[in-house]
Amino acid sequence: MKMPRLTLATAGFALIWAFLILFVFYPLTRIFYDAFTNEAGAFTAANFAGFFTATDYLRSLWKSLALGLAAVATTSVVGIAVAFLLLRYDFPWRNTFSYLTMLPMILPPLVGVLGFVFILGRAGTVNVILQDWFGMGKPINFMYGVHGVLLVETVHLFPMMTLSILDALSRVDPRLEEAAEGMGATGWQRFKDITMPLTTPGYISGALLVFIWTFADFVTPLVLGVQDLLAPQAYLNIVQFVDRRIFRMGIVISALLVLLAIVFVLAARQYVAIKDYSSLSYSKVERKQLSPAKRWLAVAFLSLLLLVSFIPQVGVLLAAVGRGWSLTPVPVEYTMEFFRQVSIETPKFIVNSFLYCGIAVAMCLAIGVPMAWIMGRTKAPGRGAMDALTTLMLAIPGTAVGIAFVRAFNFPLPFLDMTLTSTWLILPLVLAVRRLPYTVRGSYSSLILVHKSMEEAAENVGATKLRTFRDITVPLVWKGIFVGALFSFITSIQEASSTIFLTTGGHEMIPFGIFTFYIAGSQSQAAALGVILIALCAASLFIVNRIAGTRVGGLFG
Amino acid sequence: MQRSKKLFAMLGASAALALALFSTSRAQAPQPIEDELVLITPVAKTLTDPALADFAKYAKERWNVTVKTSALAAGTPVAYGQIVEWKGRPNADIFWGGESALFDKLAEQGLLAKLDLPKAVADSIPDSIGKPKPIALKDPKGYWIGTVLEPYGIVYHPRLYQRLGLPPPKDRDDLLNPKLKGNVAQCAPTRSSSSHATYEVVLQRDGDDKGWEFLRHLGGNTGMFTARSRDVPSVVAKGEFAAGFAVPSYMAFEDRLAGFDLMFVAPKTAWITPEPMAILAGAGHPKAARAFVEYLLSERGQKVAMERGVFPITPKYKVQGAPGSTAEKAVEFTGGIRSYFDADVNNIYDDDVAQKRYEAVNEKYRKEIESVAEELKKKY
Repeated sequence: MKMPRLTLATAGFALIWAFLILFVFYPLTRIFYDAFTNEAGAFTAANFAGFFTATDYLRSLWKSLALGLAAVATTSVVGIAVAFLLLRYDFPWRNTFSYLTMLPMILPPLVGVLGFVFILGRAGTVNVILQDWFGMGKPINFMYGVHGVLLVETVHLFPMMTLSILDALSRVDPRLEEAAEGMGATGWQRFKDITMPLTTPGYISGALLVFIWTFADFVTPLVLGVQDLLAPQAYLNIVQFVDRRIFRMGIVISALLVLLAIVFVLAARQYVAIKDYSSLSYSKVERKQLSPAKRWLAVAFLSLLLLVSFIPQVGVLLAAVGRGWSLTPVPVEYTMEFFRQVSIETPKFIVNSFLYCGIAVAMCLAIGVPMAWIMGRTKAPGRGAMDALTTLMLAIPGTAVGIAFVRAFNFPLPFLDMTLTSTWLILPLVLAVRRLPYTVRGSYSSLILVHKSMEEAAENVGATKLRTFRDITVPLVWKGIFVGALFSFITSIQEASSTIFLTTGGHEMIPFGIFTFYIAGSQSQAAALGVILIALCAASLFIVNRIAGTRVGGLFG
Repeated sequence: MQRSKKLFAMLGASAALALALFSTSRAQAPQPIEDELVLITPVAKTLTDPALADFAKYAKERWNVTVKTSALAAGTPVAYGQIVEWKGRPNADIFWGGESALFDKLAEQGLLAKLDLPKAVADSIPDSIGKPKPIALKDPKGYWIGTVLEPYGIVYHPRLYQRLGLPPPKDRDDLLNPKLKGNVAQCAPTRSSSSHATYEVVLQRDGDDKGWEFLRHLGGNTGMFTARSRDVPSVVAKGEFAAGFAVPSYMAFEDRLAGFDLMFVAPKTAWITPEPMAILAGAGHPKAARAFVEYLLSERGQKVAMERGVFPITPKYKVQGAPGSTAEKAVEFTGGIRSYFDADVNNIYDDDVAQKRYEAVNEKYRKEIESVAEELKKKY
């Protein structure tokens, strides 16, 4: 490598690094600074000592770890079964199922859980029917408790597992399995020796994502009255600012969440680091025909799964159109009033969501695509660190990121008489930081599928670098970039955990609207916004599915 | 070199653009009040929205200024913490609602601006209400002023009560009924300052030993500790739980207006808050903020508030409306009271005592009730 000259490329390279350092690295160090200082600003380890000597905090740490593992186990069973069915076998409505099984991923914050409660709560549809029609005495407690949290996380997160496995599985050359079979290896043996090792990286990254998501989710446990988990403790302690010791403890727990995320990513780093795929392309898979009985069994299994998976969506929809719904299986009075209130009367939630998520996606593209190119096509120094930082962003809980941003950017900007946290700009910024990994990975995985020789061939016949990029690279990779960007959009528009701490008056997006209505006790309006969010995301996901099939798993892996 | 020049030119241009973007809202001709107003408030939007909407109308009529209003919804502790974190550069103009002790704390830190209300307006509000312990309705130093009176009580779901074979509750002690086991919802005092105040009422009423015993017993009957006090009436309205502890009347009233079957009971030793209001030091729209405070204390502002189930802050007005109006429904919902200045306000809550041991009570609660809730359920 020659001495870098000040060219556009090096300037761009420097700008990317400036962005990463300013908006990823700096805020995260700030949260550790806070965790190791007291109110007077002196360094101390007392905060951590306080955490590790309190039995109830320790118990919430263990419970959170156990819950995370349990969620990995349940989503593995469901996710792997669905992935194998969709990829390897043929049965009626396979394509429809492949789209529908992605949908549970869309769970609007807060109201998604409420949707479960509306159907399965103590006064939910199921219990009301059991009590009123079948004379059952006491309601069954489906939801309140850790088991309810596990149910919600399983239904919400199994598609991530399915997509990760699907991605890994479709990169396994079926000839390897055929060869194994030719050597006499039967079902289980073949799976153990060939399929499993080849799909392990995909599985691990899916598992890590499920684990950390469950670990960091504070809304679901709170709605279900479970407070002795780590993430709810962090949230509850931080939002009560009055008692400064409890507040400090919240910061400490957030720092701990970040620390644990770093540990997990490091532990799994050989699996979750961006991959130089050994087999470059997806393999064409011959789907096996199932016997009629088995075929319908597959359909029955997937239908049952979807029935459970769509409980929250049905619950939210009923709550959005029902008035005063209490202790009846479905609402008695119906109205469109709530939709009118949250869309026509106050359109700002929807408008802001599109605006800020659009800007965030533009930022993701402007920074993420060049990053993918640097990682995939250059030997520039610091690529490893770049990858590490983006992988980390996948793993760090949104709550921690939001708090880190508040702590880090609440100072008056030079020349301007205002702080970054007081402008709306902070919202697209935090969203871009949170969702950058999807764009980077989406772009990278399609970039690496374009063999360098094709670009070299173009250059050999006299095309300039720019022209090569325009005529060869872009047409081949735009799908990956587009899918990555759309995925960044879907996940941005649902994001609540980081933005909730950063939203200022007049700049509320849909998830914040859901929170505001919920806080005001207007669950119906919150539900109406939830339905709108579900519809927007389902449409976006439909486009993703059309373009990329089920092969978006590389985004997480 | 050509390239780098271009780059610098581009950087310069974008910096200038950013500057322009940020500073557009600055240069304006002087106006009687600013055209924007932002509240930060734990008061539910069912009260803040109508008040802000009517204020905008009023400002248009009086000054011909179109004011863009918004409210940042945040629980009392969050709002307080935000204001402290803003360090005198607030993103809001007005802090509305919560405990007056917190307003005093903010004033001590220099984070509130003096209200400087016209004397007639300030004098129309009595210094305090209630016996034997008076509840202050305004700050003698002039940093905050009460806006409405709001009692805290218990809520219950009548149909669920019937199903459980229970008579309607009359006071807090009725929530200890064994038939209610697992059917009470409450918010921990560590999470909600209004819950904290209600806990203090119990502790100050019964003394430490009996008081904590009551709270432990209540913990044993509790089916859910909600994250926020506002969730308590919500889960009871839905029928998920039969009774809720420490709920402000107007939040329960909104659930009633939304079509839910929900009842409110004000206990004998009620806790009443004056929902204080203050202008933040360094606020971006100080004139609009002052105009809003005056508006809310005027007859017009008080009338809007009364429609939402809270009570006037001055003896000058009473909750009154046409038969069937929401004001009349509110009177019926809260047991026939039209003004707390007509009623005997039996208050034993001493804020000085409460503030001195605020953290100690939280700590004891966390250790002896919250973290052993499962054991308490078995014990009682």
